[in-house]
This record gives sequence, structure tokens and C-alpha cells, in this order.
Amino acid sequence: MSGSDQQKDEQEWNEGDPERLYVITKGRSGSTEKAAIDLVTLIVSRSGPTSGMQPEHAAIVRLCQSPLSVAEISAYLHLPVSVVSVLVADLLADERVEARAMVPPAQLPDAALIEAVMHGLQKL
Amino acid sequence: MVPAGSSSGVPRPASVVPWLLPAAGTALCATVAAAVASASARGLVAWCGVVATAAVALVAAEAARRGRMVAVLRDRLAEQEATLNARLAQQRADTLWLADVLLPEAVGRIQRGEFPEDVIRAVAANQQGRGDPESNAVNLKVVRTVLEAVSAEEDMRDSAQRAFVNIARRVQAIVHQQARGLREMEDRHGNDPEVFGDLLRLDHGTALIGRLADSIAVLGGARPGRQWSKAVPLFSCLRGAMSRILDYQRVELHSVSEIAIVGPTVEPLIHALSELLDNATRYSPPETKVHLTAVEVQAGIAVEIEDGGVSLSEEARARAERMLAQAQAGIDLNDLGETPRLGLAVVGRLSQAYGFQVSLRPSAYGGVRAVLIVPQEHLTTAAAHGRAHGIGAVSVTRQDASAPKISIPRPITGLSPRRAMPPSTMDDDVPVVTERTANGLPQRRRRAPVPPPRTRSVSAPAATNPAADTSDQGKEPPGMWLAAFQSAVSGDPPASAPVHDNSDESLDKGE
Repeated sequence: MSGSDQQKDEQEWNEGDPERLYVITKGRSGSTEKAAIDLVTLIVSRSGPTSGMQPEHAAIVRLCQSPLSVAEISAYLHLPVSVVSVLVADLLADERVEARAMVPPAQLPDAALIEAVMHGLQKL
Repeated sequence: MVPAGSSSGVPRPASVVPWLLPAAGTALCATVAAAVASASARGLVAWCGVVATAAVALVAAEAARRGRMVAVLRDRLAEQEATLNARLAQQRADTLWLADVLLPEAVGRIQRGEFPEDVIRAVAANQQGRGDPESNAVNLKVVRTVLEAVSAEEDMRDSAQRAFVNIARRVQAIVHQQARGLREMEDRHGNDPEVFGDLLRLDHGTALIGRLADSIAVLGGARPGRQWSKAVPLFSCLRGAMSRILDYQRVELHSVSEIAIVGPTVEPLIHALSELLDNATRYSPPETKVHLTAVEVQAGIAVEIEDGGVSLSEEARARAERMLAQAQAGIDLNDLGETPRLGLAVVGRLSQAYGFQVSLRPSAYGGVRAVLIVPQEHLTTAAAHGRAHGIGAVSVTRQDASAPKISIPRPITGLSPRRAMPPSTMDDDVPVVTERTANGLPQRRRRAPVPPPRTRSVSAPAATNPAADTSDQGKEPPGMWLAAFQSAVSGDPPASAPVHDNSDESLDKGE
């Protein structure tokens, strides 16, 4: 094995974290929480983090001082969405955060109208 | 040896006299008989007397000679006996020396790993000027035979251990690869709770296999698996230990002091703790909790594992501690079959190698309370690797000018080059959040809540150079799409160029 290969191997060997995801979610996969929370649910924290919190919970509470979607939280924390849903569900149960539904899609302008406008513009 | 002629050559007068007496007596009797006898018989009597005297003298002389011979022989015998006794004593002393000093010393040196040839040479030198050369040669031969047998045995055990370790290493490598693959899959299928749950179960099973492989490696005298080059927070270590046991859901992790473990000690500590946790969960009723805490003590950090299981009798406790002590002295792979609690052997081995102190005491809950003390030299207060699980390691971190600067020796951006990060963020000189939670998690923080329906470019790093700016255009930070979506929905004008520059800062200032 050449030196660079070895170095690469060593680096790969080195990477990662000692803890696995199932410890963070305490074994839950988020299948029960799915209904309440989806990717675009906005999460806002109601209070600051407290000292006894699990670090991930505290991280979410801090992040959500202003509303963030579950997808964003997942990206920031580098945790899969399911993990974040589980954690957010915990926080919701403890009433530490609030979930806000997205703006309903019905308020969007009608697709046909947009199309008509587009066509009109193209004809100009 | 008795000198041959010394005593037989010189007749001793004292011993000659008694032997002359019978001859003299016979001569006297013959003379008297000749005088008393009648004249006719005198000649005959005298003749007989002379013959008798001569015969008696002859016999006496012979007897005297034999007597002297016997005496000489007896002397010689006594001398021989003395010599033989002396030799016997010497021989016994030699044998005792061989048994008590020579062999144990030689075997001890072999077991400490010296070469048999060297040891034999040393033994030969030791023997110089002791006893007679013949028995020395014999002793040396005995020592040589024993040493050869012992070293052959040691070699065999060594190679058996090496084989064990070798296999364990391969299993570890596979498990590690598997774990990484699973982690990737977990990220990929994070949206699908069903798949995700299955992946978590697989991940857990893999971690259990990994622990077994680590145990084999440790018992074979090697390091446990992985190496960590950077310090890892204690909290992460404890959760790492939890993630390697079957019943991790029963472990209740309590508050943990904010401290990190230096890289080389991370893996041994995690492994030792996971073995202790495994014992605790295995030997307590399934519905009870196992409490895991870590507190600072004078000597370092004391990690306590308390279960509510069956109490440990004084005898059982003594046995367990003895097992720990034995393992610290080195364990024989052949004995493992009889050891019911393999874990303690591993813990003992690790504590010996890394200076952990382990004690088992009855717990207030009725079960066992295991305390593992990590010595001060394995601890560091430097901001560790900083993530309980990678949190914030990649998310753009930012240093608020006003935020309290908690000691961070290095810029966060340089911390994890191994993650795939856009180069622009790597070069970014303006760190974006940076505050750390009690557990060393980097955290972004706003000064005040931002009103929800606004254009937010939450994580656009305030670029310092145009190059970074342009390269940033391609890679929108997570959340950008949502912000754009939201602004479109709420009818706001689309965020224009400054979005990528410092809208966040302006927001901060605006509040």
C-alpha cells in the first residue's frame, strides 16, 4: 500500500462521530410523527434553551428563535429529516416550540391566469 | 581417594603384640609339655610343640595381616562415605538452586520476551564458579529444554493472539465501512420514516458487532478499533458508549460536565464504558433504567453507571474486582471460556492500559454502581471537535461581533475539512455564527427574532472577496429556496443582489 493510500485510509478511518443517530432519537424513526410535521412546517421556539436539554434539542430551540422550516433545520444540523421530526415532535410535546403551517397553496394565483399572462406577454 | 600404601605399609607395633601372644603361649605350652613328658616321648612332644607353635604363629600372623587390612579398608570406606555425602549435599543444593532460582528466573525472562539464546547464555554465566562443571552442564541442559518448551508455547500463544487480533481488525474494518454506508443511507432516506427506521435498526446491529470485534482485539492485546485524532466532548463519548449496547433506550444520560477527552483515549473510554453499560443493562430487569452521569472529581472525571438490578453480594463484588485485577495483569485467551462476564476482562485490560480506575459498589437503587475515573491527563478543556453528532460542523457558522467570544482556539471553518463543503465556505474568513452550547455545539444566534415573512438569506456568508461571492452564487445555502418561495407567495419583490452579500447583517442591524 502506498503512502498516500494509507493516509487516505487513515483519514477515512478517522472520520465520523462516536454516536449513532438512533441514540439521538432514542430509537424512534419518526414514523408516528410524520403526520404532524412535514418538510415545510415552520418551527418557532417559544423560549430559550435550558441547561438540561439534549444538545440537539437545544440546538433546534436556538435555531428557531426565528421561524425555520424542518428542512432547513435538518440542513443546518446535518441530521436527516426524520431525526429532526422526532426531535421537533419532542419539543412540541414539551411546548418548547410551535409549529406553524405554511401559507395555504389556495392563495396562489390560478395557473391558467398565469399562463394567459405569459401568452399575452409573449404576443407583445 | 585413600592413598594405597599409607596405612598398610607401616605395621603398627601395638597391633602386632596381641597377635604374637597365641604363638608365644603355644611355644610355652610346648616347652612345658616337653619338659614334663617322659624322656622317651620328649622328642616327639617337642616336635609336635614346634609344629603347633609354628602353625599358631602362622595363623596369628595371617590374622594380624587381615586385621590390618580390615582397618585400612574401614578407613577407606569412611573416607569414601564422607566424600559421597559431601557430593550428595552439593548435588542437592544444585538441584534446589536449579528449581528455586535458575529455572524460574529463566522462564520469567522468556515470558518477558527475551530470546531463549540470550537467556541460556545468561544462565551459563550465572553458573560460573558454582558447583562442579558436570552438574552445571546437566542443569544447563535441563534449563535449555524447559526454555525451548516454554518459548514454543509462548510463540504459539502469541500467534494465536495475533490471529485473533487480525480477524478482529478485519471485522472492524468491515463494520466501520458498513457504518459509514449506513450513515450515508440514513442521510439519503431521511425523508422516509419507514426506511429510516429500518436503517437505524441495521445501524444498531452493526454497532453491536463492532463492539464484539473491539473486545476481541482488546483481549488479544491490541488497541480497540478506531483512532480519533481530535478531542471529543465527553457527552459524545457517553452517547457513543450508549450506541454500542443492545438496550441503549434504557440508559438515562444525566448532566455531564463540559469537558472533552483527548483523541487517543476516546475509543478506549467509549469501549470500556459500553462494556460497563452492557453489564448494567444485561444484569438488571428490563423495565428498570440505568443511570449514566459524569462528574468532575479531583483525579479527573468520574463516570458513574448505576443500575437497579440484582444487588452484588460482597462475594460477587470481590470476584468481579478480582477479575478486573486479573485482567489488568494480563489475560490468557484460553481462560476466556470460563469467564462469564467477558466485559469485565475487557474493562480491566483497558483500564490497565489507559490508567482508568474502575470500582464496583452496591448501588443505592439496590443494583450495582460502577464508577470509572478518567485521569486528568486524558482530559482537555479545549473546544473539542465540537459536535454532538456533527451538528454545526458544516452548517455555516458565524461570529457575531457582539457575541461573547467563548474560547475557540481555531476558526470553526477549518475544523472539518473532511466533509464535503463548498470551497467558498472553506475560504470564508468571516465565520458566521459562533457561539457554543454547553456541550460545545456551535450555534448560530440572532440578536432578536426576525419577522417571519421576509426575505431571509439565513446563511449567506458575508463574502469578503468577489471570488468567493461569485462561487457562492451556484451553491445556495439551504433554505434559500424556501425563502424565495415564501417571498414569492407573500408577494414581496424578489430579493435582489444584496441577498448574497449581507442581508443577514442588515437584518441584524435593523432589529
